[in-house]
Amino acid sequence: MHAVEETPRLSTFLSQIANGLVLGSLIALIALGYTMVYGIITLINFAHGEIFMVGAYGGLATLTYILPTAIATTWYFALPIALVAGAIVAMLIAVAMERFAYRPLRNAPRLAPLITALGVSVALQEAMRVFYPGATAALPFPNLFIEGAVVIPIGDGVVIRYVGILLIVMSLVLAFGLERFVERTRLGRAMRATSQDRDVARLMGIDPDRVIVLTFAIGGALAGVAGVLYGSYLNNINIDMGFQNGIFAFTAAVLGGIGNIRGAVVGGLVIGLVKALGGQYLPGGTAYDYVWIFVVLIIVLVFRPQGFFGESERVRA
Amino acid sequence: MTTTATPETPATPAARPRHTGRFARLLDAAAPRSTVLMIVGGVLTLVGAYLPWVTFVLNEGPYPEKATLNFFVDPFGVTGFRLHLVILGLAAIVVAALRRIPARHRIVRGLGIGATVVALINGLWITVEGGGLGAITASEGTIAFGSIVALVGGLVTVLGASAGGLERKPVWTWTLPWWVEWILLVVLFVIVLLLVAAVLTSGGQGGVVNPYAGVVFLSLLAALGGAFAALNASGLLTWVSAVSERHRTFSVIVLLIVALLLPLTSAGTEYWMTVASNIGVYAATAIGLNIVVGLAGLLDLGYVAFLGIGAFVAANLSGAAASQIGIHLPFVLVMIISSVVAGMFGAIVGSPTLRVRGDYLAIVTLAFGEIFVRSAQNNIGGLTGGANAIPNIPAVGVGDFKFSDSVVIGSLRLPSGVLYYFLIVLLVAAVMLVFAHLKNSRLGRAWIAIREDEDAASAMGIRTGPIKILAFLIGAMLAGLAGAFFAHKTAVVAYDSFRFLESVTLLAAVILGGMGTIPGAVLGASILFVLPEKLREFSDYRLLLFGLALVLIMRFRPQGIVPDRHRKAELTDPDVEDVAKEGPGPLPTRVEP
Repeated sequence: MHAVEETPRLSTFLSQIANGLVLGSLIALIALGYTMVYGIITLINFAHGEIFMVGAYGGLATLTYILPTAIATTWYFALPIALVAGAIVAMLIAVAMERFAYRPLRNAPRLAPLITALGVSVALQEAMRVFYPGATAALPFPNLFIEGAVVIPIGDGVVIRYVGILLIVMSLVLAFGLERFVERTRLGRAMRATSQDRDVARLMGIDPDRVIVLTFAIGGALAGVAGVLYGSYLNNINIDMGFQNGIFAFTAAVLGGIGNIRGAVVGGLVIGLVKALGGQYLPGGTAYDYVWIFVVLIIVLVFRPQGFFGESERVRA
Repeated sequence: MTTTATPETPATPAARPRHTGRFARLLDAAAPRSTVLMIVGGVLTLVGAYLPWVTFVLNEGPYPEKATLNFFVDPFGVTGFRLHLVILGLAAIVVAALRRIPARHRIVRGLGIGATVVALINGLWITVEGGGLGAITASEGTIAFGSIVALVGGLVTVLGASAGGLERKPVWTWTLPWWVEWILLVVLFVIVLLLVAAVLTSGGQGGVVNPYAGVVFLSLLAALGGAFAALNASGLLTWVSAVSERHRTFSVIVLLIVALLLPLTSAGTEYWMTVASNIGVYAATAIGLNIVVGLAGLLDLGYVAFLGIGAFVAANLSGAAASQIGIHLPFVLVMIISSVVAGMFGAIVGSPTLRVRGDYLAIVTLAFGEIFVRSAQNNIGGLTGGANAIPNIPAVGVGDFKFSDSVVIGSLRLPSGVLYYFLIVLLVAAVMLVFAHLKNSRLGRAWIAIREDEDAASAMGIRTGPIKILAFLIGAMLAGLAGAFFAHKTAVVAYDSFRFLESVTLLAAVILGGMGTIPGAVLGASILFVLPEKLREFSDYRLLLFGLALVLIMRFRPQGIVPDRHRKAELTDPDVEDVAKEGPGPLPTRVEP
């Protein structure tokens, strides 16, 4: 009797862990962009969540309007094409945003770029709602990966969909690749130099503008990939997805120590788990799962603003 | 009476026609003929006003102000935007021709920009609504070059004025006998009242009633903006504000009376009273936010939550059927309780300021705001009604007398809602009073010191922690007051009214108007909450335009419409300008915190 009750509980718990990990790796992918941009120009790029949203719509537009049906319904063609398309669209928007909204404010007081970021966020969201056909409501998004799921036989069974596994693997691979890029390549070194001291980097022959554009481009591309994977996993997208997930991603980036790539991944996973487990076990249920994330955000910002992997206590003015 | 105009002669090289920037060559070439250009531009604007503007009757009906089809036959019957163009053009010609007027180039530039924008708005609207360029050029034998000629006229005026070199604003030091100044102030405030009423009601309610409401409104706004810029350039506005500063108490009283007289103007209908009351709620809230953001320099992205807390507290104490607490308290008491509760939450939200600064603090406040919305959406403790909201909140009143009733005094019948309007005017006045006193107090100076440099302020012996929390507390209390009013006025309180976007809009109102100033917050709130009312046709694009406007304001006028003196100095850092103009030239001086 006792054991029979225990196993479903365990399987629920494990299912929620799995959900949390999938969501967490998605958030991690978005958080990478946040953390890189903040690391380099200390700007909270509020509009980054919208880049993620735009990427999802870019992928969907490619599938719906550009690819012939035969290709769009064959996953091994559709998946890479949609991912690349989403990444490119998101990257272009991110670069344009940097060029026209943020660059003119590079030396302005701190408040100005933050408010600009809010404006860009609202404008992107609304532009999508107004100009993308049918975007006033949630749009269905096809599953771009193999249907079906792995079922781990514990209790009622712990179901992990293949597309979820794809999401986890892709985000870990991309984060790993990004870290290698930043640590090992010339451009990566230029990025690190720029983030440490832009003026000295310029004296060393680095063009900070190019490095900053590169940062936005990479962050945007990752967000675009995340957008397409999100659609593929949840099977529908809407224009509000950017704001919510953007805030989660920012929380993750802060949690892991902003500017730190590994930290963003760990932070993302923790946030995913908090949402999944908080929605399951904390009072209020799923209606309050967002609240727990914000509570975590406040606690982290107040008591450990440098995050898990932050180097030192830096006073942020 | 002394009339000493002392045009300050600054040592800036920009005073002489050595132009820099993108249009340097054009401006240098135009410089010798700047007066002629200004006059030609003015004449073209005039001519444009009299030419036909549209080649055919638009789908939505004839374009306003007889701007359709025929060359304008009745020279004294010009109305609406054509009248504005005529005035702007004539003023430009007169000012350009009178070489004795100090700062005339700057004045004419203001007029020229006004004319350009008026022509652009109307021309664009006709093109978009009327089916392309055919509507404003030549089609089926009729020609309509009005908008193009007026646009060229405006641009030529601006070109001539800019080429002539922009002077510093002159400083007027007239002093008149006190009673003349009093009369002058009364007349000016009454004119302001009439203008406000005209702006508010211009084009009517919009939407289906009048398809051209939006353009009539925008065009009037542009014309007024041009006139305002010209007056400002002439130094007269500065003089008037100096005069009203001399008679401070008198001005405040007259302004309050004038504001209470709005129901007697063309805006005296139930609809416009409601609009004005809503503007009042957001103006009061924006002033509260101005304490936190404008004075203390703490960015709050969840501020509308305090308005919401005030509103929900008031709703629960109002005796509404849906409220959990079945008591009905008098309105004054409800206001106080709402304000105190909101203030308590303000202190809680403000407490992280002890450890968190800058944009991290902004995120913390955003998180609190989101927690509030989520909780209210889920009907936390049964206090917020969740998705059902709290409806049917009774109107403020004593016995049979309700604030929502209309008022009849003798033969004068004031529309319903007018009492709420009076109430909110008094409320806004009270909030302004609090703000003004705080700003000039020891506490206000401490806030400004913290804004400028927290470490330095702390070194000067300011206890930064409690004082920052106090900023949040007082700001939240003011928002709570406004919230209590809001609950009774609208009779429904739903969590949907207090979302993140509302916080951003309030912040935008404060920034657009000018941070740290009272007129700024009121002006910003009025603009941001009247525009959607007027631009119903554009309701789809409303938020898109709002987002773009935020970006553009930050780019081109971060100090807002009515800049605070300290702020202005802070935001127009000379280093920043150099870098922006010359690209990566000299190393920007960046100070690491």
